Amino acid sequence: MKVLWDLFIAFFRASNFSFGGGPAMIPIIQNETVHKYQWLTNEDFTNVVAISNSLPAPIATKLAGMIGHRVKGWSGALAAIIGAVLPTALIMIFLGHLMINYADSPALQAMLKGVRPVVVVLLAQSALQMGQSAFKDKVTWVLGITAFAIMLIWPGLNPAFLVVISMILGIFIFEKNFESEIH
Amino acid sequence: MATDLWNLFIAFFRASNLSFGGGPAMIPLIQAETVDNHHWLTNAQFADAIAMANALPGPLGTKVAAYLGYQVASWPGAIVALLATILPTVLILIVLGGILKKYANSSNLKAALTGVRPIVTALLIIVAYEMAVDAFRIQVPLDYATVLIAVGSAAALYFLKLHPVLLIVLSMVIGYLIY
Repeated sequence: MKVLWDLFIAFFRASNFSFGGGPAMIPIIQNETVHKYQWLTNEDFTNVVAISNSLPAPIATKLAGMIGHRVKGWSGALAAIIGAVLPTALIMIFLGHLMINYADSPALQAMLKGVRPVVVVLLAQSALQMGQSAFKDKVTWVLGITAFAIMLIWPGLNPAFLVVISMILGIFIFEKNFESEIH
Repeated sequence: MATDLWNLFIAFFRASNLSFGGGPAMIPLIQAETVDNHHWLTNAQFADAIAMANALPGPLGTKVAAYLGYQVASWPGAIVALLATILPTVLILIVLGGILKKYANSSNLKAALTGVRPIVTALLIIVAYEMAVDAFRIQVPLDYATVLIAVGSAAALYFLKLHPVLLIVLSMVIGYLIY
């Protein structure tokens, strides 16, 4: 039982003491799970992160699920995920509740009007950060610009299509780049 | 209600399970599903959701899922959206676990990710543009205050390394004062 609580606390701390989401959480999770509670070795941790990175969905929940399960089966996974996800999710729901009930308040409208340009900037910053690791050679530029053009010409298109196609294309185009790496 | 819940599940299932390339990758996909596809909210409301999600710690995807799920269908909505976001991948990870290790290091995966990252970058730019169209209401009497806030926050981010959370709170205060 104590283990479940520990899992909850460990992932609660890791998730809620790190801003900026995703990668920022990884060192903290490592500190908690490898050094503090010694649930797995550094090598184990690296493997878990590598495996988690190979699939989609939020990294925090993936790590919580995998490590939690390793420690205490399904209830461990549940405890860890709840610790990582629930507190901020509940706050968001509370905010959502406020939004629904006070949507017409001029004060709220004013605050939101002030924050929207910041969202634009933050999104642009995310794009820039991703762009730094994305555009390594000419072909990636072609892919990026083509996707951009397609979305502008055809706004109704679900970007999910582009994601899937780009991954398939990626396999054909870039596989030879990585073939030489032997593991 | 039931159709809403099912649609919520599918929407967040798709958005979450195609979000290769990290947290922010989910944002354009969620926007496409919730704003463009299902018209559950406007781009302006979506921007508000992103703002609030960035103001809190924790995983971005689940925060947005909980918030939007609640807005669409109250508590059941939030739960469904969260489950759709978390469950499939976690199940795969737990059940397949060790087997995935070989796949994780495969050249195919690296190649696929190399292909997807430029696309995700393009998608993020487009979402930023869509938010901008609403925030700045590109029209003749351009709202200079909004532009100022945008430029100011970009500068703050780069030169002062101001924390995004502070930025969000500050801009809300400024908004309250100006508007």
